[in-house]
Amino acid sequence: MIDTRINRRSVLAGGLAAAGMAALAGCTPAQSSQTTTLQFWHLLSGGDGVALQGLIDQVNASHSEFHVRPTVLAWGAPYYTKLSMAGAGGRAPELAVMHSSRVPGYVPGGLLDPWDLERLSALGVDESTFTEPVWSSSVVDGQLYSVALDAHPFIALYNTEICEEAGALDSDGRLLRPDNPEDFFEMCREIAGVTGAHGLSYGFIGDGMQMWRLFYTLYCQHGERMTFPEGGTVEVDEDAFIASLEFMHTLADGEITAERGTIDSAIAEFAAQRSGIHFTGVWELPAMQSAGVPVGATMIPPFFGEEAVYADSHSFVLPHQADPDEQAREYTYTVVADLLKNSLTWAEAGHIPAYLPITEKPEYAQLTPQSNYAAAADHLVYDPVAWFTGSGSNFVQQFGQIVGNPIVSGSGYEEALTRFRSYVNSLLAQPNPADPQGERS
Amino acid sequence: MTDVMASRSAAGPEPEVTPGEDSGGRRTSPTRGQASRRGQLAAWAFLAPFMAAFLLFVIWPLIHGIVLSLTDQSLTGAGGSFIGFENYSEALSEPVMWSSIGNTVWFTVITTVPLVLLALIMALLVNTGLPGQWLWRLSFFMPFLLASTVISQIWVWIFNPEIGAANEILSAVGLEPIAWLQTANVDLISIAIATIWWTVGFNFLLYLAALQNIPDLQYEAAAVDGAGRWRQLFSITIPQLGPVTGVILVLQMLASLKLFDQAYQMMEGGSSETSRPIVQYIFEAGFVGYRFGYASAISYIFFVLILIVGIFQMVVLRHRKADS
Repeated sequence: MIDTRINRRSVLAGGLAAAGMAALAGCTPAQSSQTTTLQFWHLLSGGDGVALQGLIDQVNASHSEFHVRPTVLAWGAPYYTKLSMAGAGGRAPELAVMHSSRVPGYVPGGLLDPWDLERLSALGVDESTFTEPVWSSSVVDGQLYSVALDAHPFIALYNTEICEEAGALDSDGRLLRPDNPEDFFEMCREIAGVTGAHGLSYGFIGDGMQMWRLFYTLYCQHGERMTFPEGGTVEVDEDAFIASLEFMHTLADGEITAERGTIDSAIAEFAAQRSGIHFTGVWELPAMQSAGVPVGATMIPPFFGEEAVYADSHSFVLPHQADPDEQAREYTYTVVADLLKNSLTWAEAGHIPAYLPITEKPEYAQLTPQSNYAAAADHLVYDPVAWFTGSGSNFVQQFGQIVGNPIVSGSGYEEALTRFRSYVNSLLAQPNPADPQGERS
Repeated sequence: MTDVMASRSAAGPEPEVTPGEDSGGRRTSPTRGQASRRGQLAAWAFLAPFMAAFLLFVIWPLIHGIVLSLTDQSLTGAGGSFIGFENYSEALSEPVMWSSIGNTVWFTVITTVPLVLLALIMALLVNTGLPGQWLWRLSFFMPFLLASTVISQIWVWIFNPEIGAANEILSAVGLEPIAWLQTANVDLISIAIATIWWTVGFNFLLYLAALQNIPDLQYEAAAVDGAGRWRQLFSITIPQLGPVTGVILVLQMLASLKLFDQAYQMMEGGSSETSRPIVQYIFEAGFVGYRFGYASAISYIFFVLILIVGIFQMVVLRHRKADS
């Protein structure tokens, strides 16, 4: 009979073995005793996660003095909660990824440390190596708080074969870009005739983030921008607001696009080649390529006159450390510069590299369809700056609550505008909860 | 949901044993005082680890929470100055807080009733001696073993308005499709359906165990007296199941009031005004909005609500016991 009782000796032996395993797990073969470990938190999973890991491996392989150890956390609110708690405790990782749009909400709370422009510039990273919209999205109160790795705009993927059959391609084989809504709707109906299902895949039902991405693109195409002045009231153009919602309502007619498309069903539909165009983020491109869709990509056409695309950036930030190790911080600058300089690989994941020397390379020009929407970098619009806006914030969810019904039903636009105004104004009247007494700003 | 099982095992009353006396209450030896002191020491020694954990993880957070609720403490460490009952008055005048409480109570009603009735019906059917009992027991109980993340994923796809099975079934019987999780007032019902499917197995098991405890003798005697199947059901089975029904009701109401994980996951973190449960509102206030003080205040308002439900149930159950 085997004795399964637990005695003191077996517990001790087990404990020692576990401790040994833990010690072993802490080391990787490449590390020596002088190696500094740099903790790096990010929220990129799936194809993006694999691509970023490839970049990190490259950096680790070329430096023996430090080792970047990434930790992947769940996207959205949980990530930002953990990051802010780590920064609040002053024991944050050396480096983290944030959406640029979330940075302004973090700065007043003292959760981030600013980047030193001189150190960056010595490594070849400065204002001239980014487009204006990307650089200015990284600056808060005159200081640089984030260094963008990419821009990931909301774009149009298209199925080259289906669109060709529908006569929606130009002589170069690129998607036509109608400059008014009516022509675009007509084009989508033609495509729907080819697929027998829908012309366009766009999932928005129950998803404030998706609604906001397209809405703000359309709103800004009117030549308008929303501004959320702290302690003031929102400035929003009524006509552009309503015209954008009307556009979205017309899309969801059951022919152009599904009446009740969710983000998942839209992805599934385009991947199954049952539609010709897909309004989505650039990050969806690799998945479509591996699904075997003959896919092209372009900026969403300027339906209302001005080229404008909603975007956000994955940016590097220095979460606040109460007592930073200067050597580790020095290495962190090196890591960021190295990652930027290797970001051609990141372009393969669909993103537009933020670092201009990469997009100016001939190799990038040969990377299609990525290079076809590279021009979007000059027309990016980020979220209106406020402590409550940004990717995965409550603000976008609430926006979806307010405009969801009007988009589906095609009525109640005015009430939606009133509700939106009063919602934003009530937030503007509140202090930033990360710094309720304004003592850290 | 699984902590329901844990709390159940701890629910039974422990027999009281006084040190220094035997079970008959007689004095045991002349050195009773010493033995009693030693016994008490031993008792405290055994209690100490539990007491320490209880003080540290229950009592201290409880007090700390009350203190927090009176400040403007931020999750980021900023703030923290005393603001009196401002958080409470803000919460009580906040329509979203009330709608969240309303949603939670509504969810409790629409899940508790079917979860008790369905479990009873399922247990009765299985107990009548259907062939392949093990298969019924297994298939009714199995969903309960799944994690909330798994059931949420399954039901998100079932409820997908374009490609989900739920709308396939509706259109097969000639009904209009519904956006299950994206339509106001329907979303919480959809979450309730998924929850019922997920957790009914546990109540079913409790009922089945109780059914098997009713002596056959009673049914035989009733049969001899000429009682038919229905008569037996209403005069023997249902009354005999009274105590277990009470237990199930209490457990179920408490579990439903705590609604969070499946709702959060099925709504992908962004809930609507008609589906946001109070626990999610607390989470959003504290961990997404960084307002720790405010979130603490709402949790105490919710605490009072649960306390009222608990006291109400105790009174009703005691009343019933006295009746019987």
